[in-house]
Amino acid sequence: MDFISAFMVNSTVQAITPILLAALAGSLCARVGVFNIAMEGQLLIGAFCAVAGSHYTGSAAVGVAAALVGTVVFSLILAYGATVFRGDAVVICIGMNLLASGLTAYLLRQLFGVSGVFSDPNIAELAKIRIASIQSIPWLGWIVSRQTVLTYLSWALTALVAYVLYRTPMGLRLRGVGEDPEAAGTMGIDVRRYRVVTVLAAGALTGLGGAQLSLGTVGIFSEDMSAGRGWIAVVAVMLGRDNPLLAALACVLFGIADALSVKLQAQGLPNQLTDIVPYVVTLAALVISYRRKRGTRLA
Amino acid sequence: MQMVELETAGIVKRFGTLVANDGIDLSVARGEVHAVMGENGAGKSTLMSILYGMQAPDEGSILLRGQEVRFRSAVDAIDHGMGMVHQAFKLFNSLTVWENVVYGREPRRGPALDRRAAIAQVGALAERFRLSVDPTARVGDLSVGVRQRVEILKALYRDARILILDEPTAVLTPQERDGLFDVIRTLKADQRTILFVTHKLHEVMAITDSVTVLRQGRVTERMATRDTTPAEIIRAMTGRVVNLTVDRKPATPGAAVLDVQGLTVGTGAKPVVDKLSFRLHAGEIVGIAGVAGNGQTELIEALTGLRRPDGGRVTLSGRDVTEADVEAHRAAGLAYVPEDRAVTGTARAASAADNLLMGYQRKAPFTEGLRLNAKAVAEHARRLIGRFGVKIADETVLVGTLSGGNLQKVVIARELTHQAPLLIAEQPTRGVDVGAIEFIHAELVAERDRGRAILLVSAELSEILALSDRILVMYEGRILADLPAGAADEDRLGLLMAGRTGQAA
Amino acid sequence: MTPRPSRLPALSLPAVPLAILIGVVLGGLLVLVSGGNPLDAYWRILVGSLAPANWPDTLNWAVPLVGMTIAAAIPLRGGMVNLGGDGQLAIGGFVAAVLPVMLPQILPEAIALPGPVLAALAILAAMLASGLYAALAALGEVRFGIPMLISSLLLSYPAIGVTSYFVGFPLRDTTTGLSQTAMIPEGARLMTISGPLNIGLLMIVAVAALVLYVDRRTVGGYELRMRGLNPRFTAYGGVKPGPQMLRTLFASGAIAGLVGAIIVLGSLYRFQDGALLSPGYTWSGLMAALLAGGEPLGAITAGLFFAALQTGGFAMQRETEIPRVLTMILQAIIILFLAMRHGVGRRG
Repeated sequence: MDFISAFMVNSTVQAITPILLAALAGSLCARVGVFNIAMEGQLLIGAFCAVAGSHYTGSAAVGVAAALVGTVVFSLILAYGATVFRGDAVVICIGMNLLASGLTAYLLRQLFGVSGVFSDPNIAELAKIRIASIQSIPWLGWIVSRQTVLTYLSWALTALVAYVLYRTPMGLRLRGVGEDPEAAGTMGIDVRRYRVVTVLAAGALTGLGGAQLSLGTVGIFSEDMSAGRGWIAVVAVMLGRDNPLLAALACVLFGIADALSVKLQAQGLPNQLTDIVPYVVTLAALVISYRRKRGTRLA
Repeated sequence: MQMVELETAGIVKRFGTLVANDGIDLSVARGEVHAVMGENGAGKSTLMSILYGMQAPDEGSILLRGQEVRFRSAVDAIDHGMGMVHQAFKLFNSLTVWENVVYGREPRRGPALDRRAAIAQVGALAERFRLSVDPTARVGDLSVGVRQRVEILKALYRDARILILDEPTAVLTPQERDGLFDVIRTLKADQRTILFVTHKLHEVMAITDSVTVLRQGRVTERMATRDTTPAEIIRAMTGRVVNLTVDRKPATPGAAVLDVQGLTVGTGAKPVVDKLSFRLHAGEIVGIAGVAGNGQTELIEALTGLRRPDGGRVTLSGRDVTEADVEAHRAAGLAYVPEDRAVTGTARAASAADNLLMGYQRKAPFTEGLRLNAKAVAEHARRLIGRFGVKIADETVLVGTLSGGNLQKVVIARELTHQAPLLIAEQPTRGVDVGAIEFIHAELVAERDRGRAILLVSAELSEILALSDRILVMYEGRILADLPAGAADEDRLGLLMAGRTGQAA
Repeated sequence: MTPRPSRLPALSLPAVPLAILIGVVLGGLLVLVSGGNPLDAYWRILVGSLAPANWPDTLNWAVPLVGMTIAAAIPLRGGMVNLGGDGQLAIGGFVAAVLPVMLPQILPEAIALPGPVLAALAILAAMLASGLYAALAALGEVRFGIPMLISSLLLSYPAIGVTSYFVGFPLRDTTTGLSQTAMIPEGARLMTISGPLNIGLLMIVAVAALVLYVDRRTVGGYELRMRGLNPRFTAYGGVKPGPQMLRTLFASGAIAGLVGAIIVLGSLYRFQDGALLSPGYTWSGLMAALLAGGEPLGAITAGLFFAALQTGGFAMQRETEIPRVLTMILQAIIILFLAMRHGVGRRG
């Protein structure tokens, strides 16, 4: 069983966290009928705000708070743009991704005077929590212990999002809004308000994801450091058919593919090739998951 | 005299220059079933959406149990005890019956949905009003009739005292319709008031207590059902003694243009279109009558190449087109007026010239090689606009600005002009004004006289009767009867559409 | 009760200047807040791009950017979105870099291809390869129902990874320390017109003219335009949706491949890892295309505008301390504003 070392399992779980949080965000948005493909940019904004907050105060907690505030404000664009202003969500999201990329690069230079990568001893990173009773257990200890609080939180949030969606009145209403906004409207639901609030809540989730990205391992920000994770999350949402639990499962699949790529690299394969493993795996998963039915050719 | 539950006084609603409701007075007694009748465009839908709070009247007032009310929204109307079952259901297909019913007013236990209480409440309600439905079933899995019951349950769950049923039987099988009538009687026994919007005479006679007839936005007649006759109602609806008739000579059918043998769409024991066979000849109009959802849509999709049949053979002008796509069908000689002009039949953000070209864009004189001859396209468009009297400034104007009747004229003009041997016309006059109806009917008959074979699908029995030389009645994917026009009348077709061959024959 | 407002094919005119104005104002505020002088910044952008002496630079930057704008605009015209421009660009550049070096080695010595023929072959091969790769994304939607938006984007990563591997290992020019292929023989390089400009400019002009012609004057253009307005309408009219999508994406990818080939054969003379992608032509081009809702003339104009903006950005960064990514922010704001005004573009 030395296919993947225990340490790698630990880092895989860590690596899944931002994607998982973004996928939860995407699932929530999909549930209210907003096709969110701006997670790439939201993660980036979150990562930047986290580093900035942490750098200025020396507190990782403030960094996380800054990430939350920053992404929620950033998400206002989608929340209002796709509802009140009736914009096309796809176009807005593409614009947001570019805005995030440009804005973080710009601010990186203007605030910290560097381009490319910003690392600084003042950036407090998130502490790894060691759970003494579990830590000594082989494997499980590495999976469950020595993770950041955000990683634990992300899995708790997965459960919470699923609970809210499937077990509460609000969740029922959300699902209705996404499936048929007009019908929901006739039942007295303020569709627009539900959408705005959901998109903003999703923004908060991606903010946490961004914070984990920049403060979860070593406190560092680099330009475009979301590096496709937001898009992987979009695929996870699609694979999960908007169900957060299935999307989480898809994230785990991606995590395993990622670990595999690290493993292959350790065995001497060039990283240019191993880096594409997760994308090839997700593409294959999409092909297997989507099957076109024969029938009406109009649709 | 019973208590008056609902009253309107002088309701006026205008859309631009069109007066949809022109001073409507309505009086509905508590616990009665009240029919609101009228042809398409008579103003029924507008009146109902005003009563349900979806639109505000420009003038006039609504009185509920003697109190004047002003609904700000549908939700407001619901709070006042109004309920409505729309013709197009407003249900969430992926959710269960109980979730649909309690949506927006959920019983809770702590922060969570009280699933058990909800199921129990919905079940009890269903039992009380004899609406047999499983609260835990997924709505998407249910038949149309059962979905309608879910809609009624939704209204009753919100304690609707007045229930508006908008064309409730249009989508029902006869059995389902009988079931609905049972439910209506139960509701009536519970002192609930029903507004029954329809244009089907026999239903009005069968289930209602009184009738209000609308024509061109005005009330033309109020009567008690038992004191009136279908003929009287028709006269009130149309202003004429007889229904819409079209001047035409008897048909002189020629060679077979369309030959359908054993056509099957869908699989399993009961395919949607079930081994259907018929022939259509040059110079005749064949009408397909049937309650919506009996396979007409699928039949047309298969005949036009939008859907590949699962069995059988279709021959068009001698060519086997069973497996062919739309392009090949058109090449073999098909013109097609689709059911929904705005969704399928036109591109609303495109010009009239662009819209009038579609389907023939690769033919001479419009195309030379790959090049589009803009002049020919524009000339063609101008000619059609003139000949069909489309009210549009010129051919470069976007068709999205046109009224329903003018937009339909664009579709008809395009499809008729190329003299394809076969024309399939689906709901050719749905939702267009009377003038346009007469024009379109006359064009269809003229096409027939020029030797075209026309397959007409319509939900309006009067249209089928007025135009068809032969009538095929579709029921559950099969052709139940093939009648010459002379042998058909509304009653007989009604029975056949209900699947009753014995009594009709 | 009212249906979705119909999405207009092109924008009403005042919206675009207004969007630019808003972008300029917001960007100016950003500069001001970060301690710069916005007027100075914009002046530098203006001079850096539009002063006659700088025209060649602006045009040189516009060649790939407008190329990628056209590549994005073609599918957008039909209501489809190709997000895989980066991968298609990389494949095109890679093929164009490798073919002129490898082909003479493979062919027997007797057949010595003249340089221009080699260049032409390289360009055609690049277009073919990128076109087919883009069509693969369309196949994902036609055959499996995977939204092309996603499949086109995801397919980019393997394309970038594999080309990067080839220049990093088997095809690396070992005489340099960098991840790059061997130099292309001089004869196969694109002819210079003047300064930085080469005949790649003429190729893009020709492509732009061709695309405009196809859009305005041919059946295929008409069918694509109608699909963009209402895909059910074209399917009803007998246009086969699947083949149309494959054709459209092939054309889009081929133009991306051409852009890659022009960059490689015209200015880099070799394939360098990442060099094609770092300027972000794909995304700028996509934004320009979105700005015009896929209408080619508007898209090309927007592409030129963005090219001027970005070229000016270089000058601004040189002369002031303000980073040139500011121009990217301006583009994003313009697009966001327009998207909210009219809902430009459509879901692919």
